[in-house]
Amino acid sequence: MDLSAFTIQLFSGLSRAMVLFLLSAGLSLIFGVMNILNFAHATLWLAGGYVTYSMFDFMSGRFGASPWLLLPAILGATAVMTAAGFALERFLIRRTYDRELPEQLLLTFALVLIIGDLIKLVWGVENRRISLGIEPIEMLDTFVNPYHFVIIATGVAVAAGLWFFLHRTRFGKIVRAAVYSRSMVSALGIPIPAIYAGVFALGVGLAAFAGGVFLPLLPMSLGVDHDIIVQCFAVVVIGGFGSMLGTFVAAVIVGVVYSFSILFWPDGALAMVFLIVILVLIWRPWGLFGTELRS
Amino acid sequence: MSTTDRKWEALIDNLKVSRRDFVFTSLAAGALSLTPRFAGAQTAKPYKLGVLLPSTGTGANYVENAIKGIPLAVAEINAKGGFLGKHPIEIVYRDDQTKPDVGAREAKSIILNDKVQTIIGTYSSAVALAIEEITHEHKVLHIAATSNSSKITQDNYSPYTYQFCPDSNMQSGAVVVAVSKMVKKNNWKSYVSIGQDYEWGRDTHKGFTTELVKAAPQAKEIKQLWFKLGETDFTSYITAIMAAKPDFLFGAIAGKDSETFLQQAGQMGLFKRVPFPGGLISVTELRQLRKTLPRGIIGLARCPFFAHLKEPLMQKYIKMHRAKFGDDNYPDDWACMHYDAVYGLEQAINKAKSIETEAVVKALKGATLDTCRGKRTMRDCSNQLDVPSYVGEVWDSPDYPFPIYKPDTMIVVEGHDVWTPKCEDVEKLKKKRA
Repeated sequence: MDLSAFTIQLFSGLSRAMVLFLLSAGLSLIFGVMNILNFAHATLWLAGGYVTYSMFDFMSGRFGASPWLLLPAILGATAVMTAAGFALERFLIRRTYDRELPEQLLLTFALVLIIGDLIKLVWGVENRRISLGIEPIEMLDTFVNPYHFVIIATGVAVAAGLWFFLHRTRFGKIVRAAVYSRSMVSALGIPIPAIYAGVFALGVGLAAFAGGVFLPLLPMSLGVDHDIIVQCFAVVVIGGFGSMLGTFVAAVIVGVVYSFSILFWPDGALAMVFLIVILVLIWRPWGLFGTELRS
Repeated sequence: MSTTDRKWEALIDNLKVSRRDFVFTSLAAGALSLTPRFAGAQTAKPYKLGVLLPSTGTGANYVENAIKGIPLAVAEINAKGGFLGKHPIEIVYRDDQTKPDVGAREAKSIILNDKVQTIIGTYSSAVALAIEEITHEHKVLHIAATSNSSKITQDNYSPYTYQFCPDSNMQSGAVVVAVSKMVKKNNWKSYVSIGQDYEWGRDTHKGFTTELVKAAPQAKEIKQLWFKLGETDFTSYITAIMAAKPDFLFGAIAGKDSETFLQQAGQMGLFKRVPFPGGLISVTELRQLRKTLPRGIIGLARCPFFAHLKEPLMQKYIKMHRAKFGDDNYPDDWACMHYDAVYGLEQAINKAKSIETEAVVKALKGATLDTCRGKRTMRDCSNQLDVPSYVGEVWDSPDYPFPIYKPDTMIVVEGHDVWTPKCEDVEKLKKKRA
């Protein structure tokens, strides 16, 4: 196999990895800080994609079609969904903090169905897509989709932004502290409920942002969320819940391993990914970069 | 509010499919089936028609028009008083969720609780095979209008099941006819296959490879790629195809995945490198992907309206469908096949002069039916309707706001030319039933 094919496969693996990272970052953050396993994360991602579609569609009708309108559409959808995430935490999620894990799971699973049906009610069953008029560019003796560069750059930028936020800002430091010990943070007089609402809204915002970024590649359709949430869990389990670095590294591992498996052993591509999950669960149940401090 | 009224309400609630359109259509059908406005015509017992189609999952995009179209056809028949002019049709709709277990459960439920006499529908072949067991057991007529695994009418044969769609062997056979011409013309030697890793994908691939070996042995398959249903990111598959440098690509991809694949492959320039003849490109894709679909690629269709514009029934469907759902909304393959299924049932009932299932089933056996695809006859040994498959080049037509198949490139492959295997072998495939 020649070098250029190798490079292209690596490139496509990285693109897949960044999509997975953008999707999983919010899931990991919410679980790490709040200990809530949000089954509805991918459904909120899907809703974000639909809202982005509607905003893009509306603005195209208003100001004339231009691919640049995607940017304000994504930001608008992220804002809307962040607010929705805040409300969701306020009215529903908050009530389950003192409940047992199965009840939390039931609630977020119910949200999968409810939000899914709401999407069906608003947008119907027809797939929603946008066309940016992307033309392939020639590279390394083959063609690539230039939008994949955008995806990779966005993934890296979001990772860097989250790192900066968690390590260099006051709110971020509190969030990290909450991952280690809720009671200690609370004892210091920091209002945990406010932190939780903020983190949940941020997680949902991240999901919506990922949905918008993905929209030019993937038509939004009902049920995609069910297909994709399992891979998100794989990424988060490998990386360690709550660790952004872990989620990033795990996404790269999953994306690249999947990509090369398709080249060498296509039938076993998914199996390879879950083999890694099993190995991680045996060797480091708390994930590659997770912490075993949390009980 | 009568019970029937409430049933219609429930039907509409269950659907939530483009709600506004559906409410209108269903209410029209409902009102017509309820009002005793046919003075003189004695109203006999209603005919319960079960419809099982998914409103979510990979097939939802395809069957939306079918779900909207069935009530339209039913309303038209009900306007004449119903079947035989006196049995108003009541639709009992359930969402099979593209899941075999759900489909089987719902089939059982509507047979036992709602007493449906016929079940039309299903998108997924896996669901069709699951409900075939139920309809056979309860002796209920089962019309598979779009699910097309050849197993439905061969390995899993049931005398109660009739197939209105070209099956996977016939579709692959049609692609083989088209591809083997291209193989010889372009001196192609190698190809890669990519397919959905489930019943239909595997079945279609098998049908294609076994026939191509006979028709064009010089073309060798160098790689097979299988992806799980609902894949969202084909990037790595597409780069792997390009790395293999095949002369052409064969695909067994349908539904939502087909749209995702075509969009991502187009953006990555796959079709500039590798010809992709015979991928499923129905009127749904032609309409919905009008902007992004690469022109010049060779598609496969099951019931494209533009191939039969001269047929009176097709003209009627087009008119009816556009009048109801908007000028741009031409009936797609999936709507056409369901129209044919409903009117096929009507013709069988007229021939039997009875709505009793045994009589209707007998009337359908070997019947010649008027369809939007012309006069078509049921194959005796498998109850497969003799319908063609269509292969052609995607091309911008001056007559429509979306591309269609270029008329001079379109190959219409008749069902009886490619239905395999021979009847005596079909008999061997049939499993023993109690």
